[in-house]
Amino acid sequence: MVLERLRLDGKVAIVTGAGRGLGRQMALALAEAGADVVCAARTASQIDRTTGDIRALGRRAVAQPTDVRDSAQCDALIARAAQEFGRLDIMLSNAGIGDMRGANAELWDVNDDDWHDTLDVNLSSAFYCARAASKQMVAEGHGGTIINLASGTALRAYPMSFGYGAAKAGVIALTKSLSTMLQKHGIRVNCIIPGFVSQAPPRDEQSAIFAQTRGRYLPAQRLGYAWELGPLAIFLASDASSYVTGQGFVIDGGGLAGGLAPMGFAPEVRL
Amino acid sequence: MKNEWGDVRLGLDAFDLAGKKALVIGAGNAAGAAIARALGEAGADVIVSATSTDGDEVMRAKKVQQDLAKMGRQSSTVTADITLGTGVQVMVRQAAKDLGRIDIVVNAPDLYLGKPAEATTDIEWNRVMQVNLSGTFHACRAAGKEMLKQGGGRVINVASALGERGMANSAAYCAAQGGILNLTRALAQEWGPHGITVNAIAQGWMEHTPAIGNPDPAANQTVRFVPMKRAGAADELGALAVYLASDACGYITGQVLFVDGGLTTHL
Repeated sequence: MVLERLRLDGKVAIVTGAGRGLGRQMALALAEAGADVVCAARTASQIDRTTGDIRALGRRAVAQPTDVRDSAQCDALIARAAQEFGRLDIMLSNAGIGDMRGANAELWDVNDDDWHDTLDVNLSSAFYCARAASKQMVAEGHGGTIINLASGTALRAYPMSFGYGAAKAGVIALTKSLSTMLQKHGIRVNCIIPGFVSQAPPRDEQSAIFAQTRGRYLPAQRLGYAWELGPLAIFLASDASSYVTGQGFVIDGGGLAGGLAPMGFAPEVRL
Repeated sequence: MKNEWGDVRLGLDAFDLAGKKALVIGAGNAAGAAIARALGEAGADVIVSATSTDGDEVMRAKKVQQDLAKMGRQSSTVTADITLGTGVQVMVRQAAKDLGRIDIVVNAPDLYLGKPAEATTDIEWNRVMQVNLSGTFHACRAAGKEMLKQGGGRVINVASALGERGMANSAAYCAAQGGILNLTRALAQEWGPHGITVNAIAQGWMEHTPAIGNPDPAANQTVRFVPMKRAGAADELGALAVYLASDACGYITGQVLFVDGGLTTHL
């Protein structure tokens, strides 16, 4: 029965960046599908809100403030899952941060620290968490799933945020290699590649207009909603995706499938 | 659940297709059959069709329809030769009339030819292109007409990883499958503003793949070549089709989703 395969009852998940945006929605979705969740983020107050909402769904949740740039803190995060819930099945590495610069920024304005910080938060964190989580899963004697968050900016030019794009391209490559490396342990590794997705509902009229305008550049004619990542995370975390590994699932309103002409361009030329 | 986005279906309820109306073309094939059953299990009413008037294929589709009826879904069997555009148009129109509307169309024709390119005849080339690529186009075109009238829908093309990569003795099939993948991307651009999503599921080496013969990994070097060291089962396509068909999947379009045991990551 297809819906049974999606259930996550009895499974334990870790979600980094679970305090807000996509990570929060994916943590809620995994919990709705039955998982207990360890929620990590730098800001304790935000993850407390997510864990509260998960407990309201009848699942167990704990908050573990974590700076994912620090591998020791990532190790501690994975240890916390084992300590609190006795196992780990799903590692969702979502934490990330943009490095948006002004349109007039020059390449030589970017210093070493900025560059390394972007790579640490967006790429190294996925490595640290996958390393510790896979070790834990194997020690527990069962397989698992690892889901990394990449970005559509990895696949096209993104000059305003080139470090981010480069780091996320690294996440895609890491996902592919780890999928074959961890295959023998029964661990599947996939990534989600979001395009333009709103992190939160519009705060005011101005942000609503911005989202609407930006969305018109896409076939879907709108930006994505953070909660739309939830069902995709359930699919990739569950047995429903048992033959899917090493893949990137693009959720971008159709942008990456096109992009050779402005939206609305539809030539009519007779044979 | 209720959260800052409102009352959103982000959990298991996102996969509920109760009340949805689906047409699965190619339900006489293993992949189409598995997907038709999965859509039914998720709650959709499903009309099934074979891709030809071949008796065996039609009977296999009929068997799927009986399974759907046992689940309590509204279901029936229609038949058309997928290589004939007008026939497909009539069949899709009829299905839309019977169901009241069509929310989901799955296209799963699959005809493989394994032969050196230089020995492939015009007839063979044309047949492979007609069944796989023209057939998928005929079905998409007919489905699109219904969905444009309705103001939305979900099109799912079932294709092969051979549409993304080349392989020996597979030129016609690779060309046709590659055509399906880029047809998917083109239609996603064209119909996106009308609320229609178009995606493809690309299968790797499956237990039902004619190209690989015996799928037992012990007997098959090609199956052992897959990172997962096994061929996929048709059932493993079902949940992805349900997801792509759901209301929750409105922001994925123009994508090729691989269900291949990691095959396309192979160096």
